[in-house]
Amino acid sequence: MNSPLFRNADRQARFLRFVVDSALHSPESSIKEFDIGIAVYDRRSDYDPRMDPIVRVEAARLRARLREYYEVTPPEHVRIEIPKGHYVPVFIPVAGDSTPSDSDLSVLVPPFRCLSADPGDQNFCDGLTEEVLHQLAQLPRLRVITQSVAVRLQETDGPKPQYLLEASVRRAGAEIRLTLHLMDLTGGGSTRFSNIYQATINNVFTTQEQLAEKIRRDISAALHLGKRATRASVS
Amino acid sequence: MDTVTIRHLRESVALLPMENSGAANLFYGRLFELAPEVRPMFNREIGLQAKKFSEMLAWIITNLDRPDELSSEMRALGGRHGGYGVTIDQYAPVGSALMWMFQHTLGDRFTPEMEEAWLEFYAFISFEMERGARETSTTRAHP
Repeated sequence: MNSPLFRNADRQARFLRFVVDSALHSPESSIKEFDIGIAVYDRRSDYDPRMDPIVRVEAARLRARLREYYEVTPPEHVRIEIPKGHYVPVFIPVAGDSTPSDSDLSVLVPPFRCLSADPGDQNFCDGLTEEVLHQLAQLPRLRVITQSVAVRLQETDGPKPQYLLEASVRRAGAEIRLTLHLMDLTGGGSTRFSNIYQATINNVFTTQEQLAEKIRRDISAALHLGKRATRASVS
Repeated sequence: MDTVTIRHLRESVALLPMENSGAANLFYGRLFELAPEVRPMFNREIGLQAKKFSEMLAWIITNLDRPDELSSEMRALGGRHGGYGVTIDQYAPVGSALMWMFQHTLGDRFTPEMEEAWLEFYAFISFEMERGARETSTTRAHP
């Protein structure tokens, strides 16, 4: 909170404090937009979030602020994230030494391909990619590399990822089918693991989260990794 | 910014009634309801201010696929706003008024995907403006 990014951003600091305190004191409870409006933005009890989306606006800004903060100040112990569509923060423990060790595995995860002409499906694919990146980042001894970082590493002659995780998503009505391949780039691109996941979309965020958790478990098993972080309760 | 977000931003603005700065007038009306303390910062006639807002919105929409230009323009705008005394906390009611303007004007045509696109984009532009304000105040403090 002493960072220049938060020092003059009183409400953003209060927002963060409120959701973190709420999650720590009542880990099983959800945090509602209305409650943040009342507690942080001094809205009255007749406040209607549909008419005054200040909390949604500020949540998006807080996510951007946290991203920037951690880019400038890598966390020593815990990184806080507020996943899109939720107000319950996630506490991600950081390994004692954040410098990647030689024994770490690395996986490149490009955006999942959306095999559909419906533009709404592209949003689903993008959201799913984000959720999978987040889930994989919780695995120990695995460095998760996004497409943009991979480009930077290539430009700077940095280390190349050992694995490539590719997926494509098809949709028919509410049914989703995701085909996933984990390729060993050091072994000439041979497939290390492959699977097809099916799901029915009831709630977009829940479906993305459930699919991403399954993928994390499978990748962990395929690469013989364990889990290092837990997600705080999600509303 | 991905192409889908850009498309949602463009489609939502294309639906706005821009003649006589109609949407922009609504925006300022709502902003002054949410944050009456910012009203004295606008010393030009509000119709002119609304026209300026509409022109800026049109410029932004045209330049969505030029992130460097967008970024630099938003930083310059933020620097000027910092000079008027705008605080970081005041970006919140501005964002809320902007979202309300779309919801109020477009109703159901303002889809959840469009709102998500605007939330993400407003976080980006307001952050760039903050950055511009910080840079300008540092320059002012250490010329």
